[in-house]
Amino acid sequence: MKKFVAGIATLGLLFSVAVNAGEVLVKGSDTLLNLVQRMSEAFGEVEPDITVSVTGGGSGVGINALVNGEIDIADASRLIKSKEIYSARENGVNPTQIVIAIDGLSVIVNEANTVEQLTVEQIGAIYRGEIKKWSDVGGPNKPITLYGRQPSSGTFVFFRDEVVKGEYAIAMRQMNGNSQIVEAVKSDETGIGYVGVGYLREATGVLALGVKKGDGDYVSPLDREKVYAGLYPLTRPLNQYTNGSPKGEARTFIEFELSEEGQQIVEEEGFFPVTADYIESNAEALGE
Amino acid sequence: MKRLSVVVVSVALAAGGLFALAPGETELEHNGWFRYTNTSTSFGVIDPDASRFELARGYLRLKHQWAPKFETKLTVDIHSSEKYAEGATVRLKEAYLNFKCTPEMGFTAGLQKHYWSLIYSWAYVNPFKALADAQKLVSSADYGLTYGGYLPAGWGEFQAGLYNGEGYKKVGGDVNLSPALVGNVRVTPIAGVKAGVGVRYNAEVTRSETSTDRNVLGIAPMVKFAFGPFSVEGEYLVWNFTNETTDTLGAVTSTDYAEGGFSVVPLLTLAKRRVEVHGRFDMWDYKMDGATVDSKSLMRYGGGVNYHFLRREKGKPGVALQLAWLRTQKNDDSEPVDELMAQFRFEWMTVIPPPFGG
Repeated sequence: MKKFVAGIATLGLLFSVAVNAGEVLVKGSDTLLNLVQRMSEAFGEVEPDITVSVTGGGSGVGINALVNGEIDIADASRLIKSKEIYSARENGVNPTQIVIAIDGLSVIVNEANTVEQLTVEQIGAIYRGEIKKWSDVGGPNKPITLYGRQPSSGTFVFFRDEVVKGEYAIAMRQMNGNSQIVEAVKSDETGIGYVGVGYLREATGVLALGVKKGDGDYVSPLDREKVYAGLYPLTRPLNQYTNGSPKGEARTFIEFELSEEGQQIVEEEGFFPVTADYIESNAEALGE
Repeated sequence: MKRLSVVVVSVALAAGGLFALAPGETELEHNGWFRYTNTSTSFGVIDPDASRFELARGYLRLKHQWAPKFETKLTVDIHSSEKYAEGATVRLKEAYLNFKCTPEMGFTAGLQKHYWSLIYSWAYVNPFKALADAQKLVSSADYGLTYGGYLPAGWGEFQAGLYNGEGYKKVGGDVNLSPALVGNVRVTPIAGVKAGVGVRYNAEVTRSETSTDRNVLGIAPMVKFAFGPFSVEGEYLVWNFTNETTDTLGAVTSTDYAEGGFSVVPLLTLAKRRVEVHGRFDMWDYKMDGATVDSKSLMRYGGGVNYHFLRREKGKPGVALQLAWLRTQKNDDSEPVDELMAQFRFEWMTVIPPPFGG
């Protein structure tokens, strides 16, 4: 019995030390998945000794893995919740936010749809199931088919809190990722969906709607200047969380993401570079 | 020199996701403990009544999300029981409605967790009962109405509530008619440090027609420290009350009881959380009218190891083997009692999509 326990403990120690050497584990948001993958590929050319492993699953999955000390960096398209910070601190983990890009969360329809713009209030009513036909918002006399994400997705949470402001209609089809939503709307003339703006970069067959909130003007998520000026209503930061100020190889990777080269990749992937406010908060998080 | 290795895995999730249910969805979960316990006196004579295989827990949970702000939960425990000829029974463990006023705060009404002491957050890493449970002060669940949630910016959690005050196992004439008031707060001022206190007051608890406990006051401060793979959690319990007993002539005798003690559980987590090595040390002091009762005062100590074949996470199945030992030594001259436990925990959950739409 004693030998069995000692054996397991010793093996465990050896195993846990051996696997993580020179490796950065990143997990979380599906919206960030392609972007961080590109980042890691480019980073590998600069720092070939460091392996970066990127997995998806949703913001909640990534944050939970960070809380349990299983990864170095959690990708999140939403802000961390109080409950998650509390669980993390209890485990000796201090979640620290770094913003690596800006997203204009985009509402998309099939290219055959004549509707080109909607208010946030109209989109909310559509996703609550209160508006059921395109003709009620100036479109064809057809039913509206809703596409969205699953509850583990940060985008699901952000869109619910900022747009739906209530209960998603039970008829909403829950998709596993942004790409699946783009594909679904592309093949469904009655469809509407929401995706990170980066997923529109190479998308065909769908249109991003202009969106207006309150007395503002309709703004397209592809209008870089207006998104940057904060005039697009569904602008949001794309985050990474680490345990305290990032250290070692994880810090090297994050510094690369925030570098000129990293931010160039952000633009190439269809998202927007970090704004001045976040540059300042990032510097604070990095202890600079 | 290592070559760049980029692993991209898009995890396809079951409908519904991992951490919150969408309206209309139902979470189904099973949580079973198959246990062998060997009870002996100083590792000597084995008590055959207490050395056996059993299904110590067989939770079947149904959680349904009616709407973003409303969820209900029902848990029944289908487990071994020597009280019944069939050798098993079903017991209601949880049945409540939760209404969220804000995303992280709300009311809970029904049979729910009892937010006092470590009993409500005891995850059975040490597979024996939490101190308040072992000393039979309170049950882990009770009927009540609570308001609680998480403080902003991850500062902590709080609960305040009104309970029946006698736990979830009593029915009929045993139900307490004087509700218990419970308040609880835990904070995490910095990463790796958690501290809190729970206070519970019950003005009157009827034990029998001739015996009543009055002014039952429980205070339970706790603290937890976590540093990398090592953590230690402890609590100190105070449990005071006055018992009034009426004899056949109507004369009332009052006796003051003061119980208290502490429990400390250190834990070392290894091998990417596959292995847990834990210890335990409890002390309990029982006083009647200021005099210590040695037969009810005790010390407990022991430890064990857990091996997770599959680590239990929300949304994932879990299988673990727990091996543990606990010695209980009373302050009187009796021999210490040793319990050796081997337990398989097997747990899974799935999300059932709404019957219409989706």
